[in-house]
Amino acid sequence: MMPFTNNQIDIAMLPKVEDVILESISPKYFRILIFNTVILYALFIASITILSTFVDSDSFLSHVFWYLTSILIISCLIQIFIYKLGFKKRKYALREQDIIYSHGFFNNETTTLPFNRIQHIEISRTFIERKIGLSTLKIFSAGESGGDISIKGLPRSIADAQYAFLTKILNDRL
Amino acid sequence: MTAFNFETPSRQSAKGIVVILGVGIYKLVKATIILIVAFLFKYFQSKKSIDFTHPVVIASFIGLLFIFLLLAILRYRNFKFHVNEEYFILKKGVINKEEVSVAKGKIQNVYIKQNVLQQLINVVSLAIETAGDDKTEIEITALSRAKANALKELLLSGDKSNFEDNKIETVDPIFFKASFKRILLEGISENHLKSFVLVFGFIVGVYNDLKEFIEQLSISKEFSSWFSLDSESFISLLVFNLSIVVLLLVLSFMLSLVRVLIQNFNLTVTRSEKGLEISKGLFNKINLGLIASRIQTTTVSTNRLKGVMGLYQLAFTQAMVNKKQRKKFNIIGLSKAQINELLNQFYPEVLSNNTANKPDMYFVYRVVFLSIIPIILINIGFVFLPKLFFFLNIPILGFIGLSIYFAYKKKYYSIDDHYIIVGGGGLIDKTTSYLETSKIQAVSINQTIFQKRRGLASVKVFSASKSLVIPHIVMTSAQDIKNYLLYKVESEDKDWM
Repeated sequence: MMPFTNNQIDIAMLPKVEDVILESISPKYFRILIFNTVILYALFIASITILSTFVDSDSFLSHVFWYLTSILIISCLIQIFIYKLGFKKRKYALREQDIIYSHGFFNNETTTLPFNRIQHIEISRTFIERKIGLSTLKIFSAGESGGDISIKGLPRSIADAQYAFLTKILNDRL
Repeated sequence: MTAFNFETPSRQSAKGIVVILGVGIYKLVKATIILIVAFLFKYFQSKKSIDFTHPVVIASFIGLLFIFLLLAILRYRNFKFHVNEEYFILKKGVINKEEVSVAKGKIQNVYIKQNVLQQLINVVSLAIETAGDDKTEIEITALSRAKANALKELLLSGDKSNFEDNKIETVDPIFFKASFKRILLEGISENHLKSFVLVFGFIVGVYNDLKEFIEQLSISKEFSSWFSLDSESFISLLVFNLSIVVLLLVLSFMLSLVRVLIQNFNLTVTRSEKGLEISKGLFNKINLGLIASRIQTTTVSTNRLKGVMGLYQLAFTQAMVNKKQRKKFNIIGLSKAQINELLNQFYPEVLSNNTANKPDMYFVYRVVFLSIIPIILINIGFVFLPKLFFFLNIPILGFIGLSIYFAYKKKYYSIDDHYIIVGGGGLIDKTTSYLETSKIQAVSINQTIFQKRRGLASVKVFSASKSLVIPHIVMTSAQDIKNYLLYKVESEDKDWM
């Protein structure tokens, strides 16, 4: 048995989350973000265009369709621009005891999830992610109001390695 | 241990047929209520008289009832449960057979409930909740109370370590029984604004549907003749609107009063080593077990009026509770001393902590800035109205100002070796939330670009139920807090439930 100690903790001596050098996710993931956004807006625009064929070309409504379409295109561009700004902020790191994920440009959030609170881990790959060799690593805690981490756009090899590493930790714990 | 034999498959009490029948009819009525109302509406409108005593009508009613009765009997016949060494096993289904088995160790909560019908025929229903998913809710709808209690005890004895305790467990003394007067006072001093919003929303929603109906009854004509709207007199319009507001206020007052009374009727709390047992309700009686180790956050709340009368509420959040039950884990009408006693039971020595840290003044600037927009919008509206309306700005500004002042005054946080405490509230309400550091699931630091300019951030602490937020503090202290909390969680490796 270890000798029992109960010394005062010096907060300045604690390991600091802010000193950790965070790793960026794969730059290739930006393509997926653009792809997803464009597809989503294209679907919107397509359905509006289909609707517009049912409307008289002279009527007031046909103008509204043009306004709507241009608004959609502009917001699509804005969305991509926001993704561009935020993309550099998508970072993660593993420490001995926890995993850190940081993201968001306008509202930056850095979540740290201790390993001893992990409930389960998941790797998922969408069709496009598979094509360009990326993975999404999801780590779940028992937090009902959030606190889960989902690292999107990890290179597949890194995601697999981390998955194996975390699984080992989970198994050792039991 | 018990006089009941749960080892062989048994049916519920024969009264279960009545309960199943009742629930079946209730569900049918609930699902078709719109159709029924529409039908009746058309019926009254058409002025055509359908003879309800006509043999065909009566026969179809009886036929429908007969089918339901038959179904209820079949369901009852095919519903069997038993408990063996490790599992609770339930077989049910008339055409689609279903067998559910739950390991006793996986059972999270056992509730004993009683709705009006069950109260009338003197049976209770017992619901079993398992970890995780909401779908597998198991409920036995008709058991005698004694049998239900015995079954509950048996099911919760799955945890072998507690088995011995359970055997010798005696009836726990009642810790708190809310008198009718206290519940009534709680109901009166509720925040009626909440139900006002509800009533208002409801009326706005229903208004369009009822419009036609009201026009038919020509209520509005009578109203307009009362207040002579057509004379375009401004005062009468004001009186008309005011009377509607007063009516709504009275309605919402009654609503929240009745709601509190019904939900908390006969509120009784018993205390044991493992936790608390709460039972309450008028039409739907419910027994809730609160297990100390599963408590995540605890919130003490009161408001100005309640504070004066010495009324405090305690709300617990538990891990692994399904969403429907979550809101019911609260106790109202407690005194300050009782609150402290309960807090001391679940959070030893928490009350000795007195260091209150305040958020940055940005907390105030932000709300001031955000409230400018609605104020401008309201004033744009006033431009089109008589000049007198600009005076409404005085109470509005006063209200906002005081709200912000008290929100800041009441906001504080404190962190010690074992607990995180976050206090808050507004003009009227006051809340204090407690969370044990070992119950933390994850910690995050949030920083908006506005906070970044000032070097501020908010810390969010996630538990297995609610999360606590420490808003707008200096980044370095946010980092210190996060590092410290992570250190506590990672070094202690304590269980969170």
